[in-house]
Amino acid sequence: MEGLSVVVALVVLVIITIGMGVRIVPQGSKHIVQRLGKYHGTLNPGMNVIIPYVDQVPYKVTTKDIVLDIPSQEVITQDNATIIANAVAYINIVSPEKAVYGVEDYEVAIQNLVQTALRSIVGEMSLDSALSSRDLIKAKLKEAISDDIADWGINLKTVEIQDINPSVTMQKAMEEQAAAERQRRATVTRAEGEKQAAILEADGRLEASKRDAKAQVVLADASREAIERVTQAIGDKEMPVMYLLGERYIHALEELSTSDNAKNVIFPADLPNAVKGLLSR
Amino acid sequence: MLEWLNTHIAYWHWLVLGLLLVTAEIFVSGFVLFWFGIAALFMGALLLLVGMPIALQLLLWAGLSIALVLLWLKFIKPNWKDRTTSGMAMEALTGQVGSVIESNIGKPRGRLRFPAPILGEDEWQFMSTSEIAIGERVTVVNISGNTLVVSPR
Repeated sequence: MEGLSVVVALVVLVIITIGMGVRIVPQGSKHIVQRLGKYHGTLNPGMNVIIPYVDQVPYKVTTKDIVLDIPSQEVITQDNATIIANAVAYINIVSPEKAVYGVEDYEVAIQNLVQTALRSIVGEMSLDSALSSRDLIKAKLKEAISDDIADWGINLKTVEIQDINPSVTMQKAMEEQAAAERQRRATVTRAEGEKQAAILEADGRLEASKRDAKAQVVLADASREAIERVTQAIGDKEMPVMYLLGERYIHALEELSTSDNAKNVIFPADLPNAVKGLLSR
Repeated sequence: MLEWLNTHIAYWHWLVLGLLLVTAEIFVSGFVLFWFGIAALFMGALLLLVGMPIALQLLLWAGLSIALVLLWLKFIKPNWKDRTTSGMAMEALTGQVGSVIESNIGKPRGRLRFPAPILGEDEWQFMSTSEIAIGERVTVVNISGNTLVVSPR
């Protein structure tokens, strides 16, 4: 009976001991082994055997890439503009033992590092270049952080700037600036149009006046020509002017007769004398 | 009780226990119960041939299990190879050969390039205890942050 109890206890001990000694580590993670409190080794994926009771596995670390969200923060650029930037970092644990023993919480540590590095990099840039050169910021960020995380056995694969936006007040000011610029251009364009129109109008007037003057000259020439011809025809029997005047006079009377308000027209009987009277001769 | 067990434990009890243990292996992690199950099946087969007291049976079973586990670890497991190094940055990088495109002469770090990207990048910074000229080929020994530790080939 005693023999059986001892054997059953022994069997239970064997099962538990072997169970403790065999460690199966899944692909994508590594386990840290401490022997009596001190670091002893790192278990790779697959089946591993540790010494039961002496070795422990206090840390299980993933070796897959870890996505770290870098919270958005206000950053002041070189020209004193406030922008809001956030990023996402991809890290990979290369040496698990360094990661677990080197820093208390590597995720928080790297988040803070990226934040401060981002602040200092953007702080050296002007607003416009910060908004347009993401790739440069990325490269500088990676370079700045690499050395700091070397002690922790962590590899920073990439860091991407997700959003880089001016703050609300800055955005408003930029919009106002853009609107004012457009307004200025519109005003200038309108003024230019008005100037062009005025010049064209004046040109038109000038041209018209020139032609009017020319027309007057032509008319005067025609009158002179007419008078000369009449003078030739009449000779010196009577003053040619008298003829012309008489003609105009009758023409005026004719026009008078066609007007609406005066139907009674009296022709003077002695037309030449009347004309002479007009000329007071 | 001992007498009762001695007279009532038949070979098929061991066989059933063995099958149960092998089946239970599916549900628990550790790959331990499996060997106890195999040992129990073996005990069942042994009991068919020779009779023995229950205490000896249990002792033999425990010993056989340990022996099987040790055999497994000693002879079969070392022949397993890693089928992938994906997700294992250190294993993926160490031993890789790249060529130097920016020498580290006169400065702490140089640059090297791999023929194909490793861990998403084909150009890496490197450090080395020796000075390496452009065009030489180097083997990655270790990683320190984003910098590779290399030795000339």
